[in-house]
Amino acid sequence: MGRLSILAEGLSKHVVTEKYPYEPVEVPEGFRGKPRIDPSRCVGCGACVNACPPNALSIADEGGYRVLKLFIGRCIFCGRCEEVCPFQAIKLSKEFELAATDVGDLTQEVRLVMAKCAVCGEPYATLREVRKVAEALPDGLRALAYVCPRCRELMTSHYAGFARR
Amino acid sequence: MAGSKPWFFRSTWVFHLNSGSCNGCDIEVLNMFAPTQDVERLGVKLVGSPLHADVVVFTGPVTYQALPYVVEALKAVPEPKAVVACGSCACGGGIWHDSYNVVGGVNALYEILESQGIPKPTTIYVPGCPPKPEAIMYGVLLARGLAEQRQRREVFVEEVPEGLAIPEGVEGLEEVVAKAVKAFRYGGR
Repeated sequence: MGRLSILAEGLSKHVVTEKYPYEPVEVPEGFRGKPRIDPSRCVGCGACVNACPPNALSIADEGGYRVLKLFIGRCIFCGRCEEVCPFQAIKLSKEFELAATDVGDLTQEVRLVMAKCAVCGEPYATLREVRKVAEALPDGLRALAYVCPRCRELMTSHYAGFARR
Repeated sequence: MAGSKPWFFRSTWVFHLNSGSCNGCDIEVLNMFAPTQDVERLGVKLVGSPLHADVVVFTGPVTYQALPYVVEALKAVPEPKAVVACGSCACGGGIWHDSYNVVGGVNALYEILESQGIPKPTTIYVPGCPPKPEAIMYGVLLARGLAEQRQRREVFVEEVPEGLAIPEGVEGLEEVVAKAVKAFRYGGR
């Protein structure tokens, strides 16, 4: 094979190199990229926190708020949180350009207001969660959702027929 | 990375440092130099010695077995240097963050380095398990100042509704409260 024929064969093949930093690159179907919590949908139930294998998600109650923290620096992009979320609030996007010069930039925080017990006034669950539960309850029992589990236990133990009414 | 010369006078030479990684990130780092994402066209070159490197591509959660060699290698890199912490393990310990035999990512490593009197180098965190070759490429370009950072901290705070957090018009709420108060009176807490 002469030099010219090698050149001709080389030129007939297309270039495989991507033009990535200058042109955006397409990610494949089903690519699991950056997880993002949709704050308008999240109720703060903590199902994703239980499912997260590397504890990238954490939940804590601070000063009347339930704080859901996502640390993408520890996330392994498995998508378990997306599977278990009952309200489709957490989803894995196609975004992969996540490099940051500060670790703090790799976090997402969602602070949700907690409902206060109608009897003792202690915060016990997020307001959104309580409202969802109240919607699901029948009319006669709806008020019980606004009482914290401890007070509810006291009430039902003293008035055994109350819950069944 | 604050270089003494402008960026167009020097190429970024990269040293690949494995500190006990599972090899997932290492495969992606080598893919970055393969024909599909040929990063050498941007002047980024893989070198075999830390003495020649500008940027250290750091993978793995730093096992205690690897720790002395990792410290030696990082000491050998001349200033100004940058570290690209590649993958979840290097960024924050990843799935091994609470394991008994790892230091747990570069931030924990820097605490050890600072106790030895070595200053913390400029660090770019590239999360992913493993990150795409393009994501590592983006991190290296960010270290060199050729790309702009897109990822930012996001905080959402829900507004507190006015008055009591209980919606008005819940049927039987007053009755419930009255019964509860009565329950406390007859031997509650």
